Amino acid sequence: MSPTMSEAGRDADLDLPRLTVPLSRADARNLALGDVVRLDGEAIVTIGMPTHQRIMAQIAEEKPLPFDLTGAAFFHLSVCSRETPAGGAEPLYVNPTTSTRFNPYLPTLIRRFGLSATAGKGGLDMECARAMQEVGCVYFSMMGGASPLLSEGVTAIVETAWDDLIMQFRLTRVRLSGFGPLTVAIDAHGRSLYEDLARDAKAKLPEILARLNAERAQAGR
Amino acid sequence: MAITYDAVRTATADLYAWSLRTVPDDAVAALRASLDTETVESARKVLRFMLTASERARTDDKYLCTDAGVPSYDVRIGTAARIDGDIKQAIVDGFAQLCATAEPPILKFVTNPLTNQRSFAGKDMPLVTWDVVSGADYVEMICSPKALGTGRWASIETFVSPSLETIERHVMDCVLKAGSQPCPPVVVGIGIGGTFDIAAKLASKATLRPFGTPNPEPILAEMERRLLVAINSTGFGPMGTGGDTTALGVHIDYASGHGYTPVAVCFNCWINRRTRARLYNSGVIERCE
Repeated sequence: MSPTMSEAGRDADLDLPRLTVPLSRADARNLALGDVVRLDGEAIVTIGMPTHQRIMAQIAEEKPLPFDLTGAAFFHLSVCSRETPAGGAEPLYVNPTTSTRFNPYLPTLIRRFGLSATAGKGGLDMECARAMQEVGCVYFSMMGGASPLLSEGVTAIVETAWDDLIMQFRLTRVRLSGFGPLTVAIDAHGRSLYEDLARDAKAKLPEILARLNAERAQAGR
Repeated sequence: MAITYDAVRTATADLYAWSLRTVPDDAVAALRASLDTETVESARKVLRFMLTASERARTDDKYLCTDAGVPSYDVRIGTAARIDGDIKQAIVDGFAQLCATAEPPILKFVTNPLTNQRSFAGKDMPLVTWDVVSGADYVEMICSPKALGTGRWASIETFVSPSLETIERHVMDCVLKAGSQPCPPVVVGIGIGGTFDIAAKLASKATLRPFGTPNPEPILAEMERRLLVAINSTGFGPMGTGGDTTALGVHIDYASGHGYTPVAVCFNCWINRRTRARLYNSGVIERCE
């Protein structure tokens, strides 16, 4: 192993606790903010706005979804796959998208289906966090730009639906094996790293601005 | 010899393909250096994951992100460059070539803003800004495919004769608004003055400047240092899950203008996709980043 690899902690850091998704309620409620884990099992993923809107329309019309989301792990994960000669698809690479743009839809999805885990990057708002607390669901932060690590943990495309949509928008059920690293960023008790950090940053802003003013004054600007 | 249609078409495709797999060397160095100052253990871990991901992209020839971005090129034409062929069309064709041949394939991200339909082609694709370099015997091309994660946080606001304090406070407001979302640690690009379009271009180009190259204007060099410390005091940290490392750099540029002063602020995520090549009259193609 080269010094660079060793410095990057290639092995030690990636040796993480593993959980199976869909999570049991007990597993979900036992996770704490900042826990870093890997996942095995199955998740349903998409990054499509039209997909979320279609799910909402199905709910409004009391129609079933192409596959059941009850208790599911539902992730904002983009998947590029390739069709196989057997008629299935193999995953090529994956990466998360910013979850916040789905804030308007997630509270309904979380409550309606009792989701056990959500994931993406950038977080979800407190409306979502409250819904997650009610049902016992967590939000995992996936690292944007870490596709080489995350892709290794997606071992199969189990099925896709709404194939009229572009690939990354389709509702896709993936099989996970050691998928990660993932950080618990909203727990099942209504606590959110994003909320805490945004509040802290806002509270610190007057002090930060005062320091900028002082430094500018000192520089004679 | 001359700079040909074929050379520009090939460079267009190659630069894009490289950018999808490469965290620039200076960005890797900045990430590594941030481990010396990051005090939050979980953030140090995220930074180490980032270094591992960038290393694996390089050694295992992997894409860093699924979002292949909107194709964006800066082309700087030397006044002594000899051009043979329609290099404007070469860039259009080079991007089409990339879409047809990229391995693994890239996803559709070119979006019609009127219908939100996505494909591999569209009006004015790729997005190209053209500039002229006095005396140079080359064409320089920079490819910086812009993804949604940071692209959506760019903004511009026009002030009247703002003080430096007003400008810096505005930048901090933009940073707080983006918060945990733009895949930090980011580079913050800031363009001050000129006109509406010029300020935006200055900010966007400032993000392409390598880390460790402060603006030669002392007022801006000081502001860059000051704002970097300020932004890293906010606590958003790597991936926005907490820490001292929210930005790796603040790059500012300015142009003289009128008393109305546009201030453009934009971001680039930690993978900082940008590749650069120079195509010389001699036929030599030099990959610079």
